Amino acid sequence: MHIGILSIIIFLPMAVAFLMLILPIKQQGTRNVAFVVSLVIFFLALYIYNNFQLTGYMQLREFYPWIQTYGIHYSVGIDGFSLIVLMLIATLIPSAYLLLWNNERSKIYWVSMLFIQSGISGTLFSLDLILFYFFWEAMLLPVFMIIGLFGSGNRVFSTLKVTIYTMMGSLFMFVSILYLGVAFYYEFGSWSFELNDIVQITTISYEHKILLFLSFMLAFAIKIPLFPFHSWLLETYSNSPTGGVFLLSSIMAKLGVYALVRFVLPIFPELFKEFAPWLIGLGLFGLLYFGIAAISQYNIKKMFAYSSASHLGFITAGIFSLNAVGMMGGAFLVVAHAISTGGLFLLVGIMERNLGIRSISALGGIAKKAPLFTFFFAIMLLCIVGIPGTNGFVAELLIILGLFKFNVYVGVIAATTVLVAASYMFWMFQKAILENRGNDVSEMIDLNVKEVLGLLPLVGLIIGMGIYPEWFLYKIEPTIQHYLIDILHIGANV
Amino acid sequence: MNWLEFSYLLPLFIIGCGAVILMLLSPVERLSMENFSVLTFVFLTMALIGNLYYFGELRTSFPLANIFSNMIIDDSYAVYFDSILLSGGVVTSLIGTHYFQTKRKFKKEFFSLFLFSLFGMMLLVHANELLTAFIGLEIASLSLYVMIGFQKFDTRRVEASYQYLVLGSISGVFFLLGTALIYAGTGTTMLGEIGYAVDAQVGKDTSLVLIGGTFILMTFLFKISAFPFHNWTLDVYDGSPLPVTAFMAATFKVAIFGFILRIMLVDLDPIREMWDKLFVFIIIATLMYGSFMAVIQKSLKRMLAASSIVHTGYLLIAFVSIGVAGESASSSIIYYLVAYFLSAMGAFGLISYITSNDQLRVTYEDFRGFAHIHPYMAAMLSIFMLSLAGLPGTIGFIGKFYIFTGAIEAGYTVLAVVGVTATFVSIYYYFKLIALMYFYPYSDLENVPPLRGITPITIGFIAIAVIAGGLGNTFIAYFPGVDFLIDNARLSYMSLFIK
Repeated sequence: MHIGILSIIIFLPMAVAFLMLILPIKQQGTRNVAFVVSLVIFFLALYIYNNFQLTGYMQLREFYPWIQTYGIHYSVGIDGFSLIVLMLIATLIPSAYLLLWNNERSKIYWVSMLFIQSGISGTLFSLDLILFYFFWEAMLLPVFMIIGLFGSGNRVFSTLKVTIYTMMGSLFMFVSILYLGVAFYYEFGSWSFELNDIVQITTISYEHKILLFLSFMLAFAIKIPLFPFHSWLLETYSNSPTGGVFLLSSIMAKLGVYALVRFVLPIFPELFKEFAPWLIGLGLFGLLYFGIAAISQYNIKKMFAYSSASHLGFITAGIFSLNAVGMMGGAFLVVAHAISTGGLFLLVGIMERNLGIRSISALGGIAKKAPLFTFFFAIMLLCIVGIPGTNGFVAELLIILGLFKFNVYVGVIAATTVLVAASYMFWMFQKAILENRGNDVSEMIDLNVKEVLGLLPLVGLIIGMGIYPEWFLYKIEPTIQHYLIDILHIGANV
Repeated sequence: MNWLEFSYLLPLFIIGCGAVILMLLSPVERLSMENFSVLTFVFLTMALIGNLYYFGELRTSFPLANIFSNMIIDDSYAVYFDSILLSGGVVTSLIGTHYFQTKRKFKKEFFSLFLFSLFGMMLLVHANELLTAFIGLEIASLSLYVMIGFQKFDTRRVEASYQYLVLGSISGVFFLLGTALIYAGTGTTMLGEIGYAVDAQVGKDTSLVLIGGTFILMTFLFKISAFPFHNWTLDVYDGSPLPVTAFMAATFKVAIFGFILRIMLVDLDPIREMWDKLFVFIIIATLMYGSFMAVIQKSLKRMLAASSIVHTGYLLIAFVSIGVAGESASSSIIYYLVAYFLSAMGAFGLISYITSNDQLRVTYEDFRGFAHIHPYMAAMLSIFMLSLAGLPGTIGFIGKFYIFTGAIEAGYTVLAVVGVTATFVSIYYYFKLIALMYFYPYSDLENVPPLRGITPITIGFIAIAVIAGGLGNTFIAYFPGVDFLIDNARLSYMSLFIK
């Protein structure tokens, strides 16, 4: 396999974005180029997927010195878990372009999308903590631009709020990263921020480790968001443009989960185990709490915002279940949920474009006006609710099994609370889409060819992964086993 | 006359002579302001080239000892600081070109004073004796007092100048008192010898040196505007012409740190830890006060002034860490000075350029929607704000990285956390400007000069340097990047200890 392919995936969108900024290309040209770039990346990702070796270890490593005085390296690589997130992003972004095609009419928008894709890929592949932090923060700026420039309502305030909120978490993580680097220096006599080196540190006391662990957790919990760190969520989601919500909910939030597994698990394996019950509790509480919050919403976007947070709590519970089934379920739900929630937000965006922002009670009867729209909307919705035959079902089943293995009572709670999604989703679907209640929805236009083309791969994945999950799970299983056996020292039991 | 040794002092000599020549030429009617600004630039560039010739060489010498009797030192450390100072001079003169040409009330003597103040700063960095340092400090300060109040028709300028003059003079007196006490305690004012004397006294009574050192530190804290000597900063920075503010904020601090690091690292090293607790308190107060003031400002200039107090706090974090992590902490100070110098110079310079045709108060609101009419200037201003806030990808991030790493290395994790909290607050007041510039559709700002001439080009180069300094040198081969600057900072640190 070719070395350097990961760097191409990281830097190609960024380079194109700079080129677009300099060249006098109009909005449409930029959009077309950006779409082509995302397709190129999709095929590169497909190439990686086909040539991926089934080991639990890092592949396609690239390692160059960056700031030598402090042993900081440009160090990237990919394992099973990053692979599926890569595939997810590589599939979702071209689809998103197709669905946003005529939505946004500004060059900056597409340039920001390119920058974001670079930032996401960089975050995904980084194996050096400083490099990771670099991309993690750099990812924020284009999102800042998209929400602030193209949002609605009190967008300037909500942009500042979400920026400051996420910065708070990541700055404390930054201090922790530096602390780890210094601890490594004092123990081994040389500087390094490389993940493989940092995990060897033995000198940090338990009390300090807890503080470090919590500051890492804070950064990721805000991004995900886990229960008490969600207060930025509602306002940001409802004031963001469609593309912004899509990025935040189906990509950035999943990266929070990903980073949790990538960094917190190997650096603090004992604390990961020790805090697992608490975090499962937090996740399940979030599932219920956000679910109930979603029931009481009158705006679809706000409802989906809470629904998304609710499922992310469930994913977190799966990740912390400390067995292969639960963790694979978590990874599976990362993909399933990203696809379905991303698709739903994009569809809601199309509806908003046609009808303006409306509450659920002002909608209704869309099914007649836009049957294709309704069809895709229904499939995404069924996936979120977890109807058998969709990948959402498989994922939720795996997580519930994992939680049963963790503790029977936890399993019972999980199995019952996960049904909360069904209550609000079906209610909303009936009121807003199916039932004709005399509201004027004549301006609703059905999906065009491009939009259908963008949604088809997502539907294919939802059903494909739902009917034949093994096709997907075998790529990630060695990695999960590696996490459990080599890092957490828990016996494998699938 | 030893020509080699003379060549070591050539930059200092060029600047000193240049100042005198400009002063003598100022009555000549035929020479215009433009001629003077070109002449200033020529002197500065000559000195900078002469200085860069010795850059990166590990050396300590006392040039022309028979004339200066070891009172002036020339080592890699001084060369490094001279380079920053002279670059500061060059950048100020380039950025100021447009400002001084449009605001006709400046007189030609201004340029002479400018070189004099730079001369004073360089002398301060080269000083190997306390009284020489005092002379350098006062030359620099006195010139600055006049530069601030040069437009005497404007009451704000005069007020700022007078406030700075009175308070600055009092702080200067502390320096003299400190010098006298140290002389009483050790019997010498030469830097190296103070060190030996203090070494010999450790364990016995060092109170005279301690009190003397405290007085000198008070002057130092005043000049870098740390708590509790910070009150003048907002008014003086706000009242000064913008290029002068930039010069004060970026360059003068460099010189002060240049001197105080020298004396702290070498001479007062044995008793330095006695001040540590005091410094921890000062740092926390400085960061908190600066952040608070910056958050509540409506005027951009006052916000930048208040945020300079916060940056002083970051620098002091590294300063207190030099006890344990000497090398990394002091090189992090030097690196951060460069980082702050570039970002602040760019920000102040660009704002002065944008508003040079108007008598604006320069508030946040003036910049509403600015990006849609002047995208390039807005992009540059954003880069400087991001760098001041320490976002990854800018030189400010690497600077903060070094400072906080040094602090943790020295065991001051609490200070690193406080520093990060201040950084977190700073996101608000820096991002507010970016948000205002980009997220509003129209702009009321009129009379913005077009992107033409030497000033915008200079600022553009600074913006590129800010990015390049943040990316390191993996990306651009043979370009002076992060490693180059930090390695040379370490080299200059080592030169302090060559006996």
